[in-house]
Amino acid sequence: MTASFDLNPHRLLEKKEPATAMEIKLRRRSRISSAIRYGVLLVFGLIMLYPLIWLIGASFKTNAEIFASPSFWPSEPTLSGYIKGWQTSTPYTFGRFFWNTFLIITPKVIGTAISCTLVAYGFARFEFPGKRILFATVIATLLLPNVVTRIPQYLLFRDIGWLDSFLPLWVPSAVAGDAFFVFMLIQFLRAIPRDMEEAARVDGANTLQTLVYIVVPMLAPAIISVCLFQFMWTMNDFLGPLIYISSVDKYPVSLALKLSIDTTEAFDWNQILAMSVLALAPSLTVFFLAQKYFIEGISTGGVKG
Amino acid sequence: MGGDSKYLGYFYVAPYVAGLLLFTAFPFAASFYLSFTDYDLLSTPGWTGLDNYIKLFTRDRTFDRSLTVTLLYVFMTVPVKLAFALLIAVILNYRLKAINFFRTAYYVPSILGGSIAIAVLWRYIFAQTGLVNMIIGVFGFEPINWFGDPQNALITITLLRCWQFGSAMVIFLAALQSVDKSLYEAASIDGANPWHLFRYITLPLITPVIFFNLIMQTVQAFQEFNGPYIITEGGPLKSTYLLPLYIYEKAFKSFDMGYASTIAWALFAIIMVLTLIAFWSSKKWVYYAGDKRS
Amino acid sequence: MAELQLKSVEKTYGSGFKAVHGIDLTVEEGEFMVLVGPSGCAKSTTLRMIAGLETITGGEIRIGERVVNDLVPGKRGIAMVFQNYALYPHMKVRNNLSFGLRLKGRPRPEIDGATQDVSKVLEIEELLERLPKQLSGGQAQRVAVGRALIKHPEVFLFDEPLSNLDAKLRASMRVRITDLHKRLKAEGRPATVVYVTHDQVEAMTMGDRICVMREGHIMQVADPVTLYERPANAFVAGFIGMPEMNLVDAILTTPDGVPHLTLGDQTVKVPEGLGERLGITEGPVKFGIRPQHLDVCPPDTENALSGTVTTVEFLGHEINLHVGVNGESFVAVVASDRLSAIPTRGETVALKPHGNRIHLFDRHSEENISLAGL
Repeated sequence: MTASFDLNPHRLLEKKEPATAMEIKLRRRSRISSAIRYGVLLVFGLIMLYPLIWLIGASFKTNAEIFASPSFWPSEPTLSGYIKGWQTSTPYTFGRFFWNTFLIITPKVIGTAISCTLVAYGFARFEFPGKRILFATVIATLLLPNVVTRIPQYLLFRDIGWLDSFLPLWVPSAVAGDAFFVFMLIQFLRAIPRDMEEAARVDGANTLQTLVYIVVPMLAPAIISVCLFQFMWTMNDFLGPLIYISSVDKYPVSLALKLSIDTTEAFDWNQILAMSVLALAPSLTVFFLAQKYFIEGISTGGVKG
Repeated sequence: MGGDSKYLGYFYVAPYVAGLLLFTAFPFAASFYLSFTDYDLLSTPGWTGLDNYIKLFTRDRTFDRSLTVTLLYVFMTVPVKLAFALLIAVILNYRLKAINFFRTAYYVPSILGGSIAIAVLWRYIFAQTGLVNMIIGVFGFEPINWFGDPQNALITITLLRCWQFGSAMVIFLAALQSVDKSLYEAASIDGANPWHLFRYITLPLITPVIFFNLIMQTVQAFQEFNGPYIITEGGPLKSTYLLPLYIYEKAFKSFDMGYASTIAWALFAIIMVLTLIAFWSSKKWVYYAGDKRS
Repeated sequence: MAELQLKSVEKTYGSGFKAVHGIDLTVEEGEFMVLVGPSGCAKSTTLRMIAGLETITGGEIRIGERVVNDLVPGKRGIAMVFQNYALYPHMKVRNNLSFGLRLKGRPRPEIDGATQDVSKVLEIEELLERLPKQLSGGQAQRVAVGRALIKHPEVFLFDEPLSNLDAKLRASMRVRITDLHKRLKAEGRPATVVYVTHDQVEAMTMGDRICVMREGHIMQVADPVTLYERPANAFVAGFIGMPEMNLVDAILTTPDGVPHLTLGDQTVKVPEGLGERLGITEGPVKFGIRPQHLDVCPPDTENALSGTVTTVEFLGHEINLHVGVNGESFVAVVASDRLSAIPTRGETVALKPHGNRIHLFDRHSEENISLAGL
């Protein structure tokens, strides 16, 4: 049942008009207020999205045109930004940098999915001594500004000899280091009734088998959300690679873009913008293909938190 | 379950515990230690006692500047971002047909916004002859010197953060939609008009989410790095030199790890104090649903 | 208190679906009217139209002298008790009760006094400082009733208020509500009530009059006795009464001028009074007889239907006997001490209907044709 009472205005008892004329007035009033709402949302939305629209258009423009007009449509579309930008001013093409990004993301996402699922399962389905304290640390880590741990982490990785490699980026996530994901999976798990797992145990499955064959399929949407978010965050990660990666041949896209601003001449902006569009493309594609997982994930993490 | 060892849970949380000790707890303690030392990566850390802290709070002009700018940044972005997020969420909550389209449109900036690509874009659009100046030129205004004028530079990165209100909005929207519709009906029968409904029903019931968003946004805002680093490089005249940038440069450019740790701890302390104030105040204004225990 | 009038009230949704088909209903001042029917019959929709929570797409609703079609719920002089109580979770019970008065800006002493009075009547005084989540189901429901009572509305609306309670609580709340209604009447403040439920036991025990609805139409409006003894159509006959009335197809014949009912190969004589009242003398009809109005007799009794016992449900003081007659299943309710021996499955028995309790319904219109002249 939808409540439509918000359409009725305040009416004094004396003013009686025929029902039909009143209804027309009410409908008109509600249409106007809807129109206003749509209008505001649309205009504001366009303003919000214009930088992105402009970016895509500009990547196909010549440099001169970029600085000439605020319109996003290229008057003489050209791929020169993409072709030259791809070459970069390093011995490597952008393909190399995308490959590096892929090399960073894939193990990180897989490691996150596996470790966070295991840990969330542990917290949500088991009782053990010290569980409360340990869970409190999850919450604390969630709120902890990681600025304090960054320097010693660097020193630790230096001492192990992991500098200038991808290991410092992979390993912390592979041990459920991202408290946000652990927390999110725990929340999802709490909402799933234990009946099916109990049935599996009665059928003779041990806890690990129950996890793999029963829980994971039910938790799949949440795990997908986790993977998607980790994918996004890693694509955008800059400070991590900045600290740990020094050889250009290992640069991910985020560092490569920074490099290109430093090294490219001022009048080659269209190259930089073109590469920026390419850098955003994976994130955008993934987002549009899997929208509902994002919305679900962030809503559960935030609302039921 | 009967028959399970009571330590079975440990097996599953073991990776987390290991990671917690190695990558969180130990570094946490270590950085505290380092903040009292002088460490340049070559020799061993030398104990200097409270020297670093004294220097930080009495003689460090850069710290004063950086702290001011950071506080300004946080107190500008967080309220604005939350206000927009709530406002748009409320507008979107009215059974609009295209709700999914709009929700996506407003959310996209927040997934892309933290990226270098967007920071690069921002650097362009606020350039002297960039997009923003071109557009305001169309309306007859003089171009604004965004990056050259210390007053304006902070605004550019503020706008970048506020542009990403979509994620907070999605959370608000979910919270708004989870409010029991029959409460609005009951209140309406009690004589409430739309403003009353928002003020007495909606707002109180979403205070937990407002609180959550407030904490998360504040903690994140204090740690902003990408934007200022790429767009303005902390300038001009350190007008966008947020504390994370200062820490980074001290640690990885000057290799003054001890002092960098001190600054990090100062930042941490500020964030913690504000968080604690928020938690303490939350008893007054946050309503918690949930279990029957009072 | 006021009279409630629905005139040709209709509800058509935007999709074109017509939920309520022009219903007319008058609820007298101080009357307890129950709207009852199976799910989908639009009883809740009708209630919500009275409340103003649904717009009215046709017809008119009057409360007292006023036409309320275009008034917001807050200005109609109604109060409503919701199925899930809809108590404001973030406000104490005291504030839940007084919310409406506080919005109107009534003076503090008046609010406090009214809150006190209402909580005394409903025995919720010790609960005033609690939050809704600290209340049991029954307590929450009493607070919801209190919130309605405090407004002194012209019409009270109840939307299945007891369905979320367990059986025992439901029984005691039923009594509490009807007692409250009687007490208000005795105090000179009679309450006009519209009460929606799907439970016909609630309807029969609580209502002054009952309005039976089906798919957006009113099937019959009458007091419980009339509904039970003189249902206007087969739907009402089958809906009211537990277990359901036995309704089977039969053929009416009049051999030698005496009306008889034929089911398959069996024939039962129809009492003379009934025969005269019928408009028709022959033709297909629907034969209705309540389980309580069938006597269990030895097979081959005259004017009885013979069949085989399929199920025996022993309830202590009564027995529900399921008997198959010519492929149709009849249920007979018999007092245990009336039978010398409890029948067993497979046994052959005869069911003799009480002649003056037979109902005949038109096969197509389902109208009760045995009421003419009564």
